[in-house]
Amino acid sequence: MAAQLDGVFVNSLQDVIKASKILVVGAGGIGCEILKNLVLSGIQDIEVIDLDTIDVSNLNRQFLFHKEHVGKSKAEVARKSALEFNPNVSITAYHDSITTPKYGVNFFKKFNLVLNALDNRQARNHVNRMCLTADVPLIESGTAGYNGQVEFIKKGMTLCYECTPKAAQKTFPGCTIRNTPSEPIHCIVWAKHLFNQLFGETNEDEEVSPDMADPEAGGETAGEAALNTEVDDVNGKGDIERVNTRQWAKNLNYDADKLFNKFFHDDIKYLLSMSNLWKNRSPPQPIKRGEFPEETTNHTTNNASVLPDQRIWSLEECYKIFSDSIGALKSDVEKLADNDHLVWDKDDKSAMDFVAACANIRAKIFNIPVKSRFDIKSMAGNIIPAIATTNAITAGVVVMHAFKALAGDLEKCKTVYMRPTLNPQNYLLVPEKNILPPNPKCYVCAPKPSVCLQVDTTKLTVKELRDEVLVKTLNMIDPDVMLESKGLIVISSEEGETDCNNNKKLNELHIVDGVELKVDDFLQQYELSVLVFHADAERDKPLFEIVGDRDAIKQKSEIDEEAEKAKEETAPGDGPSPSKKARVEVQDADEQDDDDLQLIEDDETEDASAPSTSSNANLKRKPADSAAGEGCSKKAKIVDSDDDLIMIEDDD
Amino acid sequence: MVELDSTTNGVQLTEHEAELYDRQIRLWGLESQKRLRASKILIIGLSGFGAEIAKNIILAGVKSVTFLDDKDLTADDCCSQFLAPTTEVGKNRAEVSLTRARALNPMVEITADKEPVEKKEASFFEQFNVVVATGLPKTQLETVNAHCRTANVKFFAGDVWGMTGYSFADLQEHEFVEDVTKHKTISKPGDKVKTELVTAQVKRQLSFKPIKGIFEVNPEHQAFRRNVKRVGPGIYVLIVLHQFREEHNRDPNYSSRNEDFKTLLKLRDEIVDPKVCPDDAFQHIFSQISPTAAIVGGVLSQEIIKTVSQKDSPLNNFFIFDPETCRGYVETF
Repeated sequence: MAAQLDGVFVNSLQDVIKASKILVVGAGGIGCEILKNLVLSGIQDIEVIDLDTIDVSNLNRQFLFHKEHVGKSKAEVARKSALEFNPNVSITAYHDSITTPKYGVNFFKKFNLVLNALDNRQARNHVNRMCLTADVPLIESGTAGYNGQVEFIKKGMTLCYECTPKAAQKTFPGCTIRNTPSEPIHCIVWAKHLFNQLFGETNEDEEVSPDMADPEAGGETAGEAALNTEVDDVNGKGDIERVNTRQWAKNLNYDADKLFNKFFHDDIKYLLSMSNLWKNRSPPQPIKRGEFPEETTNHTTNNASVLPDQRIWSLEECYKIFSDSIGALKSDVEKLADNDHLVWDKDDKSAMDFVAACANIRAKIFNIPVKSRFDIKSMAGNIIPAIATTNAITAGVVVMHAFKALAGDLEKCKTVYMRPTLNPQNYLLVPEKNILPPNPKCYVCAPKPSVCLQVDTTKLTVKELRDEVLVKTLNMIDPDVMLESKGLIVISSEEGETDCNNNKKLNELHIVDGVELKVDDFLQQYELSVLVFHADAERDKPLFEIVGDRDAIKQKSEIDEEAEKAKEETAPGDGPSPSKKARVEVQDADEQDDDDLQLIEDDETEDASAPSTSSNANLKRKPADSAAGEGCSKKAKIVDSDDDLIMIEDDD
Repeated sequence: MVELDSTTNGVQLTEHEAELYDRQIRLWGLESQKRLRASKILIIGLSGFGAEIAKNIILAGVKSVTFLDDKDLTADDCCSQFLAPTTEVGKNRAEVSLTRARALNPMVEITADKEPVEKKEASFFEQFNVVVATGLPKTQLETVNAHCRTANVKFFAGDVWGMTGYSFADLQEHEFVEDVTKHKTISKPGDKVKTELVTAQVKRQLSFKPIKGIFEVNPEHQAFRRNVKRVGPGIYVLIVLHQFREEHNRDPNYSSRNEDFKTLLKLRDEIVDPKVCPDDAFQHIFSQISPTAAIVGGVLSQEIIKTVSQKDSPLNNFFIFDPETCRGYVETF
């Protein structure tokens, strides 16, 4: 509207606003607010993309959506509602994922400016790369609770989204999840895995049964009999066939009592037989249906000072919810086609009930504090609290920056932080003092990007190199990998071309210490050199790690060596081969109780939808320190309050 | 302020409310949500800025919101007033905003009142927990503020001109609790030191001053003046704009941009040195620009939520947004 009235803006700004084409990625909390500001300001040509649909819990802030829109496409409803504010502009809506190959570099090149309103780091990284490749300026934003952040990103001029290290996703070793949980989150992760084993997509990294190969168990040959549910007499002829957990449960017709006894009694008995595990830990107490131990805690039933979901359940209640939710999920899964499966969703009542009940039963078995369904939902669903005001303020700053970027005042687009409390200068909205230049060592925007991969080359498979390292960790979409020194294509994006390599360990393909891999993602037009450093993986350690540059790796290996020496003196002799250190992914949200590092991710794509996390201020300053000394010390002053954090993600 | 007596305290949120407000309850807690649900808010002035405040507190789930406005919708309201359909230009702003406002959250009671604010007696304000005054000349702001003081009602004021804006609070004597986080040592003596974060609630109290005299040049602004280089011309721009409104009984208008711009500079020259408050500061003060309405409206709404829930330290007493840098800062005048 504003740009349609002569005299509201100064002429130069009015002209660029009328002539600009803008892409908004994400129609969640921040996205709705951005769209409102854009149409009211008179931006004529807007496109918006979001793959999500509307949920009731969005309605407290995503104000373009109302109750009657629940279940519909966010992008499409947002378009319709925003057009009511100003029918004289054009909005194109895509109910789709921005990472699909349809939206290639040429798609991005259509726009004068891209505004990110995402809630996850993967999509943020991807859009960052697409904008760098297309050389289109990007404004990145995110919120978490009362915190918000807006960053302007321009190739060659500013830090890119990936110039600063982000806190890694918290993961847990498989044996902690399967054998020796010690915190509520371990039980919650286990419960989600159990859901997938029974109803969802089976993933070999998500085993829930005891891990016999746990090196700490010291190679005991515990009674296989305890695991006899793994095999079953299926065909009635007495042939023993190995069946997976899903098939086994199906054969039992998802009998809640039998399932309960296997997971909470028989498997625990088996764990107890691995006695080395319990030498320095308190052993778990198996629980059998019908023989529940008495509980001392008082489980209040009707207390107005908490929500029903905030109550703590007794074991009896857990059992009832376990049993009811299995019944409901069973009928859900039976409605699907034969090979189809359920997808765990925190907003699906039965799926959430199942995980809350299982996590709590397991917590009771291992004498770990139990949590309410409300709290478990936060941890299992990676919920970042989200409110209308923070989103409105953050989106306002995004569009103020958009005006400056469109008008060519790029040097005015400094990163702005929205804080929950005033900083020492009494600022609530805090701009950086300087535009921070690109990090010359950035593995994305440097002229010749490279990264060091520390990996156990004898254990990691080629498939894991692709799925875990290149796709999940380095956020490529469909990478090709070449070992140049041998002229060998290790991974090809052509379907099936290199499937024969999938299960080979890296060293079988000569990918060993000191080797350099050329990795290329066609969609992102992103080429990366990966320098391989071999390191043996230990129990509780991941199989691989991305470690900045060579210097970082050197320092690290020195430290590791010392630790190694210290260990060797006490370590027992050869044990069995260590168990697979599958790391279990956990949402960032649970890290919020980790002291100063605050991770913020939104659960939905709201505003900054998956905003990724920004790193804490220390991390953030780092690249600048090495790159451009001057502005940084000053910057430190601004940011230095107690909450150095800022990781932000938008809610949906 | 919002008393949690037996009627509020014993009440459970419905399942629907728990679901709808889930993401914010996870931030401010159930107690705050219950206090919000009992609070009654008056918004004076349904400009784009008023609409932003209305949106945020309606979404948050207050009990009721009253729109008080005797003005009709204009074309330039449509630069930011998204609650009023553009087809309703010429009709009362409060009334034409009702339909969209109610759709934001059907659980909130929303009413429109088109009587001029100067017709309202002091007793009118008693029925609210919070009064927000926008778009008023400074003399009327002072009157409403005084009525609120008498009625013991929390008072907010604020405005947006173009890309510039402020919010102000007079919470009188305000009590609130604040979470204080500390590292508590949980390891045994002699072991490696292990700490965990513990949160304790601390009760605090703050005294506020009324708005009277703040938009006149006064000695208190001297401290601000030293900061002008750092934070922008802030309070001086607001003083000039309020003076324009007082003298012309309207705000600068886009259709008379050039004349109004000159008038503003003249007013500025009578009040403050152009070095402190340069000409450029008045280039972007026409109409209300949507992103600024959202920023200042967002901050003011969050202050209302804090005040009503009596949680967290309020901003005392001016919040000023500098569009040039996107800096938002607090001055205590």
